[in-house]
Amino acid sequence: MSSASLPATVQGGRPRRAWRNRFFTVAMLFCMFVAFGTLIVLLVDTFVTGWPALSSQLLTGLPSTVPAEAGARPAILATLYLGLLVLLFSVPIGVLTAIYLEEYANRERWWNRMIEVNIQNLAAVPAIVYGILGLAFIVRGIGVGRVVLAGGLILTLVVLPTVVVASREAIRSVPDSIRQGAFALGATKWQVVWRQVLPASIPGIATGSILALSRAVGETAPLIMVGAITYVAFNPTLMGPYTALPVQIYNWTKQPDADFQTLAAAGAIVLLVIVLSMNAVAIFLRNRYRRQW
Amino acid sequence: MRVEFQGELDALEAGFQETGEIVLRSIRGVVDALRTQDVELCDEVIAFDDEIDDRYHALEKQIELVLARQTPVAGDLRLVLALLHSGLHVERMGDQCVTIAKLTKLSSHLDTKQTVIESLVDMGERCEEMVKVSLDAFAARDLEAARGLHGLDELVDRANRQVFGEVLGYVHDAEALEWGMRQITVARCFERIGDNAVDIGEQTAFLVTGEFTEFTDASH
Amino acid sequence: MEAPRIDSGRIAEVSHGLDRAEVESREKVFSVSDLSVAYSGNVALEGVALEVHKNTVTAFIGPSGCGKSTFIRCFNRMNDLIPGAKVSGTVLYHGEDLYARDVDSVEIRRRIGMVFQKPNPFPKSIYDNIAFGPRVLGMKGSLDERVEQSLRRAVLWDEVKDRLKDGALGLSGGQQQRLCIARALAVEPDVILMDEPASALDPISTTRIEDLMHELKRDYTIIIVTHNMQQAARVADMTAFFSVLVDDDGAGRRGILVEYDSTTKIFTTPSDKRTEDYVTGRFG
Repeated sequence: MSSASLPATVQGGRPRRAWRNRFFTVAMLFCMFVAFGTLIVLLVDTFVTGWPALSSQLLTGLPSTVPAEAGARPAILATLYLGLLVLLFSVPIGVLTAIYLEEYANRERWWNRMIEVNIQNLAAVPAIVYGILGLAFIVRGIGVGRVVLAGGLILTLVVLPTVVVASREAIRSVPDSIRQGAFALGATKWQVVWRQVLPASIPGIATGSILALSRAVGETAPLIMVGAITYVAFNPTLMGPYTALPVQIYNWTKQPDADFQTLAAAGAIVLLVIVLSMNAVAIFLRNRYRRQW
Repeated sequence: MRVEFQGELDALEAGFQETGEIVLRSIRGVVDALRTQDVELCDEVIAFDDEIDDRYHALEKQIELVLARQTPVAGDLRLVLALLHSGLHVERMGDQCVTIAKLTKLSSHLDTKQTVIESLVDMGERCEEMVKVSLDAFAARDLEAARGLHGLDELVDRANRQVFGEVLGYVHDAEALEWGMRQITVARCFERIGDNAVDIGEQTAFLVTGEFTEFTDASH
Repeated sequence: MEAPRIDSGRIAEVSHGLDRAEVESREKVFSVSDLSVAYSGNVALEGVALEVHKNTVTAFIGPSGCGKSTFIRCFNRMNDLIPGAKVSGTVLYHGEDLYARDVDSVEIRRRIGMVFQKPNPFPKSIYDNIAFGPRVLGMKGSLDERVEQSLRRAVLWDEVKDRLKDGALGLSGGQQQRLCIARALAVEPDVILMDEPASALDPISTTRIEDLMHELKRDYTIIIVTHNMQQAARVADMTAFFSVLVDDDGAGRRGILVEYDSTTKIFTTPSDKRTEDYVTGRFG
């Protein structure tokens, strides 16, 4: 490299490169503002609209045709029950599936490769498709009916792929040297998985599960499909009719009365609080238990 | 740390010192044999040399192994090299004792001259002392004592020249001349023993300082 | 310079590397004949035959790619865990075929332990690391005692006895490797395999591990793989030199055993020129 092509001094340099650099920085910042700004605007709008209706009445009361007396207790409870059911079903099934795929499945076999590809696809399927599926097979097919259990099962199906993917990532991130070390001591395959791999991947699995859960809690379309009735004036039970908070909000927005709009916004705030708290827990867990390998 | 290695070095050095002890006994043996003209003692000394040779070869072999396996450096390397050289000097001393013993046997049937015998015994005792000093100096890594060997060697050399001068006087007595000439060789052997002891002193100096210097300049 | 104190007491018990006759007079632990290993059809190692005797340290040396790590993994069937790995030939362990149909690889691995190149402590406490093996194997007896004994044998007890409940990942590299050794000792093995145990460690830790091997040799049979031939010279009684054979067309590379003899012989008068070239550093 001849010295002739280098600038004589270190100042001045290459104006074109610097300009391009700045342009890119500005463009990035702009996009960030757009994205962030939209979100902020949305949140602020919801908050401002719903603030008047935010009261204990909302949280503890039963729905009514009179906005002033309407509450969303059954919906909130149902949402929480649904969340619990989703956790209960999706985590074991999802984790065991992930364990099978990561630890036991022989990648050479075609069926394993097929499962692999399809798990990714399933995560992209629109939730309403699960709703139709659930209606056909769970509500009518098994004959469970339009009950909380059915809703829970449907939502489980919706988030199961996500849980599987997250668990796989967590399991995959456990270094192979740990497995080798455990095998070398005379542990069986199951002992290695149960006593070393799984405990080491719990933080990742927990984070993934909670994120999946917070998605499930916000789903509306599939629940409508499987009959989360809009007017439920009693506390939901496992095998009884129900409505969920997103559905409740949806129905309030359909009412002509402006007060119901306010209620809807207030309900949205409650839902947001639930979802954001779950996310916060997930982030806290992830940061606290992050592994340094 | 490196316990095995240290043990091996210790064993090498202990082996060397032990061989040195045996050579000291040989020197004492030939000195006594000279004094008393004891032929049996001479035979013992000659027989003993096999052990000295065996020990030297074992030392050599061990050093080869230590060098190959432990790759000693710095002080450890100097120690190993010093042991190798000093071991050879000790073995040479053993050979000198054998020569003295053989010569004593050979000339035992002849008359002895007291003055020469006394000079030789004196040389022998000085050699014994030098060897002892050289071995101790090595063990103690004592630079001063090692350097002091040079002075002791001067005395041995002087006694050697004395013997030579004495024997020159026997030129008219055939038997005495024969005996005398053998004793010149004996004196020469003692002188060689002294030189070997000085060499061990030089090795000690090398071990301590890392530099090799001759204590004497052979040109004078 | 200080005068040394020659400890004549030790002189008697120092074992200079055992010579071949002494080694072969001891009980045979492994007997390998015509061993070959292939990964998905590619031959990594071919036609290896040697014997390992009790309470000795055997080292495998050779350039990279010569199959020495592959070979050592044959002794505890760790190659089984690699899909596509195929082992042919015979490995006899105390006279029994290690690769027979009805052999329990779990029991094999208990009796033939392994320490890896990069220390791999479990992300658990020091205590739980050592206790893992005994627990999964259902070993009886006081776990606390077992943990202490293992840590003592690995010369780590004094450094960690006050913090057994602390995480193992907080230890230094050298300590972690000794922890891994203690972990292997806890299941009472017969043989300890070490795959480049000190290559990831600093010189002082390396010396510690080497001193440890001299100690452990009294009670266990040790096989180590090392790319540092001076290390093999220092610790091993027998040394096996492996090399790479390149096919005529230059495509295939396979590992072979070139020479196996007492360490003394390998490093003073090796029989094969290839060995001489390697140990003198004129290889390649």
